Amino acid sequence: MVGMSFLRTAAAFTARLNPLKRPCQASNLLSRTVARSEQVVVRHGSHGKRMFIIKPTDFYDRRFLHLLKYYIILTGIPMAALVTFVNVFIGESELAEIPEGYEPEHWEYYKHPITRWIARTFYDSPVKDYEKMMALIQIEAEKAEMRQLQLEVRRHMREKGDGPWFQIQTLDKNLIDHSPKSSPDN
Amino acid sequence: MPKDHDKDVYPEPPSRTPVEDRQSSLPNPALILSKLFYYSVDLPVTAFRDIVEGIQSGKRSHYYHQKFRRVPELTQCQEGDYVCYYEAEMQWRRDYKVDQEIVKVIQERLRACQQREGPSYRQNCYKELQQFEQVSKAFQSRYGDLGAYASARKCLMKQKERMMAEQQQA
Repeated sequence: MVGMSFLRTAAAFTARLNPLKRPCQASNLLSRTVARSEQVVVRHGSHGKRMFIIKPTDFYDRRFLHLLKYYIILTGIPMAALVTFVNVFIGESELAEIPEGYEPEHWEYYKHPITRWIARTFYDSPVKDYEKMMALIQIEAEKAEMRQLQLEVRRHMREKGDGPWFQIQTLDKNLIDHSPKSSPDN
Repeated sequence: MPKDHDKDVYPEPPSRTPVEDRQSSLPNPALILSKLFYYSVDLPVTAFRDIVEGIQSGKRSHYYHQKFRRVPELTQCQEGDYVCYYEAEMQWRRDYKVDQEIVKVIQERLRACQQREGPSYRQNCYKELQQFEQVSKAFQSRYGDLGAYASARKCLMKQKERMMAEQQQA
């Protein structure tokens, strides 16, 4: 019973302190007393009493978000304006049949004007890339063929010995001095 | 507005809306909603589009679909002719993309048909179902499990395996 009263007083105390949970506490029901209302009816000409609310710092979070928005908008708005103007004033291309005897340029195969501009200014035509790749393949194929041929020729010349490779130069026969061995009794 | 798809290519069956025979004097909610949508969304959007087209009128450039010449396939290349291999490979890759798009078109037709017919699609869309089944079976048998690094050679080897399996069965 004493513990109950202690709990009751503790609950009433905490209820009074906590500004959020004011009405209808269990302590009211148990003790059948009306909670002492602390809300004095005073009308200020302002937004009420100024409070110093203690909370953890949000300086770093707000600074981060501010910088994020700033740097995104810095180039975002010019890009958005550019794309809007291109879409409104230049507009996308229309699909058409290739006229007789006309070879379209490589950028004329794209629809959007910015894509066409990029293809025209920066990229090589796909035909050129294709031909470059085929040229590289041709060069490599010829190199491989040359290497195979060289190995084959080397094998032949080593075997037969009558080709220009694998020959060791010896001295000229005319330079040999036969005089020590020219007469039998010396 | 960008032109809508050609209605003759994917023909929809004629709609069978019954003749209206209203007998109540309450306002028709469908009519109200459609008028609301028209005045709040359709008119402003169409007006904006007309203004934009007025600004752009006459200066339209054209874009074309590229036409590629046919080159000898992998089976018609000499052995060791790597340039021929490269051209055949590129042609096979273009054909692979085209076949993927074909399958997508057939899928789209089936989906549209199912959406139109509702619960009785299995009976009413029989042609589209058969077409889709045929096309997807063919695609699976030719390009099925080639994987991400598919190439013309792998496809050729798959075809060889298929022909060998058929011969064994026969």
